[in-house]
Amino acid sequence: MAQNRFPKPDFESGYKYPEIHHAIPNEELLVAIDIILLVALMGIVSWAVIKKRTRGPILWVSVISVAYFGFFRKGCVCSIGSVQNVALALTDNTYALPLSVLLFFILPVLFAFLFGRVFCAGVCPFGALQELVNIKNYKLPKALTTVLGMMPWFYLIFALLYAVTRSSFIICRFDPFIGIFRLGGDIGMITCGVILLIMAMFTGRPFCRFFCPYGALLSIFSSVSIWKIKLTDKPCINCELCHNACPVDAIRPPYANKAKESRLRGVKRLLNYFVLLPLLILCGAFLMRSVSSELSRANKEVRLYDMVMQHEANPGDVLSLELEAFYGQGDSIEGLTQRYEKVQADFKLYTTIAGALMGLVVAITLIGLSVKRTRKQYEIDHAACVGCARCFSYCPQYKIGNESGNIAL
Amino acid sequence: MKKAILRNIAIVSALFIVTFSIMLITNYFQVRDTTPLQTEVVETLKQLNDANNTNLALQEQIRQLDLLARKAYFVRLDHLMAGVYILLGMLVVFIVSARFYFAKDKNIPVKTIDPVDEWVDKTQARKYVVWVASGMTAVALVFVLLSSPYLTTKEKTSKDGAAETNPQETALVAEESAVPEAGADTLQTAAEEAVSEVAASKVTHNSFRGNNSNGISAAKGVPVKWNLSSGTHIAWKQSIPRKGFNSPVINGNKVFFSGADDQARELYCYDLNTGEKLWSLAAVNIKGSPKQMPKTTKDTGLAASSVATNGKQVCAIFATGDIICADMDGKQLWAKNLGAPSNHYGYASSLLAFGNEVFVQYDNQNSPKVVALDMATGTERWSKSRTEKITWSSPVIAYVNNKPQLVLMGNPAITAYDPNNGKQLWRVECLSGEVGSSACSANGIVFGASEYAKLVAINATDGSVLWESNDYLPEVSSPVATKDNLYLATSYGVVASFDTKTGQTGKVHELNTEFYSSPVIAEGKVYLFSNDGKMFVFSADKEFRLLDSFETGEHTFATPAFTDNKIVVRTENSIYCVTAN
Repeated sequence: MAQNRFPKPDFESGYKYPEIHHAIPNEELLVAIDIILLVALMGIVSWAVIKKRTRGPILWVSVISVAYFGFFRKGCVCSIGSVQNVALALTDNTYALPLSVLLFFILPVLFAFLFGRVFCAGVCPFGALQELVNIKNYKLPKALTTVLGMMPWFYLIFALLYAVTRSSFIICRFDPFIGIFRLGGDIGMITCGVILLIMAMFTGRPFCRFFCPYGALLSIFSSVSIWKIKLTDKPCINCELCHNACPVDAIRPPYANKAKESRLRGVKRLLNYFVLLPLLILCGAFLMRSVSSELSRANKEVRLYDMVMQHEANPGDVLSLELEAFYGQGDSIEGLTQRYEKVQADFKLYTTIAGALMGLVVAITLIGLSVKRTRKQYEIDHAACVGCARCFSYCPQYKIGNESGNIAL
Repeated sequence: MKKAILRNIAIVSALFIVTFSIMLITNYFQVRDTTPLQTEVVETLKQLNDANNTNLALQEQIRQLDLLARKAYFVRLDHLMAGVYILLGMLVVFIVSARFYFAKDKNIPVKTIDPVDEWVDKTQARKYVVWVASGMTAVALVFVLLSSPYLTTKEKTSKDGAAETNPQETALVAEESAVPEAGADTLQTAAEEAVSEVAASKVTHNSFRGNNSNGISAAKGVPVKWNLSSGTHIAWKQSIPRKGFNSPVINGNKVFFSGADDQARELYCYDLNTGEKLWSLAAVNIKGSPKQMPKTTKDTGLAASSVATNGKQVCAIFATGDIICADMDGKQLWAKNLGAPSNHYGYASSLLAFGNEVFVQYDNQNSPKVVALDMATGTERWSKSRTEKITWSSPVIAYVNNKPQLVLMGNPAITAYDPNNGKQLWRVECLSGEVGSSACSANGIVFGASEYAKLVAINATDGSVLWESNDYLPEVSSPVATKDNLYLATSYGVVASFDTKTGQTGKVHELNTEFYSSPVIAEGKVYLFSNDGKMFVFSADKEFRLLDSFETGEHTFATPAFTDNKIVVRTENSIYCVTAN
C-alpha cells in the first residue's frame, strides 16, 4: 500500500497501470462483534470484581482483548480515541459521528458509573497488554505519582483542543501501542510503546496512570459508581497486604491525621488555594491564549498558509507536493486566508478554554493535597482503581470466607 | 544456576533492546526526512522533459532514476521494519526471561518498611505541583516571547547577522556564495548544463520589478553581456506596436506589456522564445472611459503603468483609468474604468498581482485610493481611500515575519496595508514633493526614497523609523535591497549603496548619466539600465563593484524582466530578449 502513496511518474509512457482491487472486509459484522464483545467482556469483568472477587477471568479477558481488539482489530476503534470524535461532533454539526464510535465512548463510561473502571481492568487492550507483561511492582513515590496523575488531564485537554479545531486527533497520532498491535508504523511511537511496556514490567500500568486521557474521564464516573469494588465484606484487620499488592497505588492506608501542623495553618492554606483557584484559571486561560498562534501550527490550513506565504515571498523555489496540490487545484490565497483566519479565531477561543481547564486541574490538585481526612482502615480509591483484582487474593479476611479463592497470577 | 542464566538472558536482551532502539530511532529520523522523488537531479531532468517531451532517452533516464529512488527508499523502509520486528522479538525474550526469573517471588507483595506519613507525601506533592505549574508557565512564556514579532525583528536586524530567515534573501545569499563543487556527480553536471537549454522556466516576473515588485529575481543562468547591434546573445527583437514606458512581465513562455496612443490602448502578449506576437487586446467599449484622452507629458504617456499577471490572468491599466483583464490566451475577462485620474503628468502607477488579486494604487487629485480587484472577475475585494497627493509610485509586497504587507509610497507617507482586507498596518509620514519611486523591502525592513525628501528605513513590524539619509535620492528609479545592502540610482547619474542596518553610505559610483529604470538583483548581481541604454552590472555585495558596462544603443526607461537564462528589455521603440545561449 505504501508504494501507492507515491505519485506515478508525471509523463505519458503508454504504460497502463493495473487496476487495484482491495478486498473489503465485512465491516458491519465486525463492528457488531466489536460492540457485543465490548459489552460481554465488561460484563465478565464486572461479575469477576464485584460479585466473585477473583482475578482469573480478568486475565482471560485481557488475553482476549489484546488478541481481538489489539492484534486482530489493530487497536481501532478504541474508546480512548473516541473522546476526540465525540468532542468534534459536539462542536461541529457537519461531522457525522459513527454509532460504533459513540458506543465505544459511552459504554465504558456507563459501566464505570455502574461498576467502576471495569473497562480499564482488562477490556482496554492497552491496559490489558501492560497487565500481561507486568512482572514485579516497584512502587513510585506517592508525591511523584500525584504530580504525574495530572498529566492525563492535560493530555485530555490538548486532545480535545486539537479535535474541536479539526487540527489533529493527537491521541490516535501519538498512540504508543498501535504500532505494536499493527506490527509496524511510526517508529518513534513504537519505541515509546516499547519503553512504556518495559516500564509496565516493573511498575503498574504507567500509560493508564500517567497518560491515558480516557482513564482520567472514567475516574470521575468510577469515583461515584453505584456498585463499588469491595475487598471484603468482613472488617479490615489493617494487615497492609492489599496496599502493598496494588500495582496502581489505589488503596489508601489508614491515616490518623496526626500531622504536627496547626489546624489554623491548614485552614489558611486551603483558603489560599480557594482564592488562588480563579487566578490560576485566568492565568492558564491567558497563557494558553497567548500561545494559540504557535499551537495552531498543528492545523494543516495554518501550515499550508505559511507554506504559501513563503512561496509567494520567493516564487522561484521548487514547489513542494502540498503547494503543487494547492496551486494545481486552483485554490485561492484569499480562500486560504479566510480559512486560516477562521482556524486562528477558533484556536483563540478554544485555547482560552483549555488554559482555564488546565488552571482548574492544578488548583483542584492543590486543594486535594491540602485536605486532611481521617481513615481508620485501608480503603480503595475508586477513581484510581482499575479493577485488576490483584488485591483480593492477598486479603486474609476475604480468604477466610473464600478458601477456594484464586491465587494471584 | 538456572536463575543465573535467566538473569543473564534478561540483561543481554535489555542491553540489546536499548542499543537497537537508539539505532532504530536514528535510522527513523534519517528516513523520515528523505523525499526520494524530489531530488535535485530528478527535478532538473523533469524540467528538461517539460520543455521537450520528445526526448525518449531523457524520459528513460528519469524512469531509471525514479525507480532507483523508490527502490532505495523502500529498501531502507524494509530494513527499518525488520529492525522493529527484531526489537519486538527481543522484547518478548526479555519479558519471558524476566518473568521466569521473578517467578518465585513475584506474588510476594513488597511491604513498605517504615511508611512515610501521608501528610509528608502530600506536602511534597504540593511542592511538585507548584514546580510543574511554574515550569509550564515558563515554557508558555518562552513561546510567547519567541513568537513576539518585536523579538523576531530584533533578531533579524541584529548586527552580527544572525540566521537569515527571509527566503528571498536566503536564495540571494546562496547565490552570492555559491561555489561550484569540484568533481560533482557527472549526471548532475549534465543535468545542470542541460537546464540552461530549458526554454520555459518556473521563475516568473509577474509585475513591475518582478514578483512582489521588489526588484529581486530568482532567475538562474542570467546573461551578463549582449550586443544588440550585432545580435550576439539576442534571441529576438521586435518593434513595439504602440508607445509606452511600462516594463515587460514574464510568466511561463509569455511576455506581456502594453502600449497606447491617441488611437488605441492595447495589452500585448509575445512568445518568450520566438518573439512572435501571440495576441493583443484593445481597451474598447469600456463604460465610463473618457472620450478625450487625458493630457499627459511626453515622458509619461498613456501607458506608463506596467501590466501584472498571476499566471492565470493578466491585467493592464492606462492613463484613462481603464483597466482590462484577459486570460492567458487573450480572451477578455472584464474591463472597467476606475474614474479618469486627475494627474498633471499622467497616471503611472503599475499594477501588482498577488494571488488572485490585483492592486491598483490610484493616488490622483480627485479621490486617492488603493483598490484590490479580483483578477478573474474584476470584483472589488476592498478599497481604501487615501489622504495622499498625486503619486506616480507603485505598490509593493513586503514580507514581514513571513506575512505579506502591501506597501505604498505617497506624499506625505509610506503606508502598509494588510493585502487581504486593506486594513492599515502602519503609516510613516516622511516624504514630500512628487513621489515617483517605489519602495522595496528586505529582512522585515521597508525602504522608501524620493528626491527632495529623504531615504527612510522602516521597521515593518511596528512602523518605527530605523534610520534616515539624505545623501543620494532617486527621482523615478526605485531602490532594491538585500539583507545587508541597499542600492539606488538617481536621475543625476549617481548609483550608491547603503548599509541596511545603519544607513551608512557605502560605495558610490558617479556615472554621468541618467537613470529612470530600476535596478534588479539576479544571481548576486545588480542589473541597471541608464536612460541612454547603457547596461551596468554591479556585484550585489558590500563592495558594490562595477563588474561590467556596455552600450546597447537604444534608449531604455523600462525595467527589464528576468527569467532563467533570459532577460526581456523594452526600449523606447522595441522589445528584445537576451539569452544566455
